[in-house]
Amino acid sequence: MNLPIPLVVLITILCLAGIGLYCLLITRNLIKVVIALQLIVKGAVLAFILAGNMTGQLNLAQSMALTVIVADTIVAVVGLALAVQIRLKTGSLDIKSLSSLKR
Amino acid sequence: MTPILIALTIGIPWLGAIIVWLMGDRREDLTHWVSILFSIGAAITSVLLLPNASQETALTIPIGGDFGDFTFVADGLGIFLSVIAAVIGSLAVIFSKSYMKGEGSLGRYYAFVLFFIGAMVGLVLSSNLLLIFLFWEITALCSYALISFHNDDPKAVKGGIKALIITSIGGVGLMVGALIVYAYTGSYDINNFLANYSTIPGNILALLAFGFLIAAAAKSAQFPFQTWLPDAMEAPSPISALIHAATMVNAGVYLLARFYPAFKDVPYWSEAVMIVGALSALLAAVMALVSNDLKRVLAYSTVSQLGYMVYAIGTGSVYASQFHLFSHSIFKALLFLSAGAVIHSIGTRNMLEMGGVGKKHPLVKWVFIIGALALAGLPILNGFWSKELILESGLKNGPLWLYIVMVFVAGLTALYTIRCVWLVFFGEPRSDYHAHAIGWEMIAALLPLAGAALVSWLAAGRFSVLLGEKSLPFHAIEPLPYKEMMHEILSLPTLVVMAVITAAILLWVFRKKLEGLINGLKSIRWAAENSFGFEAINNAIVKVTQSTAEALRVTQTGILNWNVFGILASVILLLAILVLGA
Repeated sequence: MNLPIPLVVLITILCLAGIGLYCLLITRNLIKVVIALQLIVKGAVLAFILAGNMTGQLNLAQSMALTVIVADTIVAVVGLALAVQIRLKTGSLDIKSLSSLKR
Repeated sequence: MTPILIALTIGIPWLGAIIVWLMGDRREDLTHWVSILFSIGAAITSVLLLPNASQETALTIPIGGDFGDFTFVADGLGIFLSVIAAVIGSLAVIFSKSYMKGEGSLGRYYAFVLFFIGAMVGLVLSSNLLLIFLFWEITALCSYALISFHNDDPKAVKGGIKALIITSIGGVGLMVGALIVYAYTGSYDINNFLANYSTIPGNILALLAFGFLIAAAAKSAQFPFQTWLPDAMEAPSPISALIHAATMVNAGVYLLARFYPAFKDVPYWSEAVMIVGALSALLAAVMALVSNDLKRVLAYSTVSQLGYMVYAIGTGSVYASQFHLFSHSIFKALLFLSAGAVIHSIGTRNMLEMGGVGKKHPLVKWVFIIGALALAGLPILNGFWSKELILESGLKNGPLWLYIVMVFVAGLTALYTIRCVWLVFFGEPRSDYHAHAIGWEMIAALLPLAGAALVSWLAAGRFSVLLGEKSLPFHAIEPLPYKEMMHEILSLPTLVVMAVITAAILLWVFRKKLEGLINGLKSIRWAAENSFGFEAINNAIVKVTQSTAEALRVTQTGILNWNVFGILASVILLLAILVLGA
């Protein structure tokens, strides 16, 4: 079997995003939510590179990818820090316990 | 010179707003004085602009992209309104020094007042519709913040939110209009639009014209949006004088005047404008007649007088409308400020608890009477000249039945004005109130306004030149020398109006003998006290919105899984539509 490289990358992107979304859909654990977000964003970064490669603007795509990685790291850090605080406050990591804004 | 002055007139109050905000309440006296200083600075620069009026674009701020440049034109119409905003603004700030003594959050109060003055000046001097929209919304925001200034009073908060929501409807109308102008002429520039409006298809132009009419009606508290202005009277009195009588509520009339040349040929537009104005004038005058709250009476009379201005634009006399706006700003600011002095001294707004205030504060009594006579349209005072010009134009260019309505409203105006003066200043005190002294700052703000109410009509000739020759080139306004004005006004129709006003005053004098007639009109009284059902309509809309929101609450689970499911489902739905469509 000899698949062209762009197709392989595309399948990888879809798999990453699909797994991430599926995980977001079913999990209630905050840590796992953060992991799922990471998966989706990694798919998105790959998609940037693929798009850049296909349109011939690879340097633009690379700079975008770097920006996304930085932003994504911050999201992960803040998300995990919040998770720790929530664990300390409520005693669980279940996101159901977070719907207290709704009365 | 002009660009610097424009930038200063907008910039000085805004700079003052930031400084006063940062100063906060640490030193009360200093906060007062700094705000007075900055507002007077803006007033001086705005007056200096007067001789520099021209139709040319004076200041251009390039912002690039599709928005076009932010342009400012210091033409006659704009300058005259900016002078009103800045000068009456500074008087209101001076008045506030005594009125707001000892109140908390002075920094917030003055910051919003100064922010408002700058935004109002910007609104009338800018010639870019997008920029006008921005300033328009800033004035609405300041009005909301100042109505709800006493934010521990639920009535004040409610009134503020009501004003914000209803004026936002007008804002949407203006924004849609601006976008249409941009889509069809390729720029937001007003001059460009007025020069090329004939290239816009008729139905689109009609949409634009009626959209702006809605915007103006919401901002100027005209029928059917008049309900927010009386509830806005929870604001401190200087705010009522500045924002809800002299400046912001005029923005709607200004908008109609500015765009009149483009819209005058749209079918039924002039008629709609006239009817909106006449209905507002009539309904508000009747409501003013039965209200017992001093400030609400003045608010209704503001709606009524704004109705006159809108009606005047409908009849095609932009000049008469703007001249009445000028007179009205002066005498209504005077009335609101002297009412504020009375309320500050007595501690109530209910006229039934007043009576005999004139003996305690003779000076306030006299300036209030000057303002009241101008409002009633009695000769020599400025309200007389401008109202007569409007009625003159209505008789010439409008349908007769609307003219008769407006003359009748002139009578009603005299009736509720004399009732108000009588209840507050004459007779015996109807409750054992204690009259506190009135600060010199209040008197310093009242006297110039009283003087202006007496003599401002002398400026009519110059005013017509300012509007006619130095305004946008699309307004045909003839200069109006005194002789011509006298000639036009001293004629039979004026005598008819005078007779109606005299009859109204006699009606009040002989009110004891006419009790049968008054009892006969009980049903109208009941309807007017319930604001002719508009309050009920407003409440119904609020109720429906709230119950819909309650019903939709179940869709917000607050659980992440459901939200992700929603996102996924709508993405799949969109993809399906795209695939099936292709």
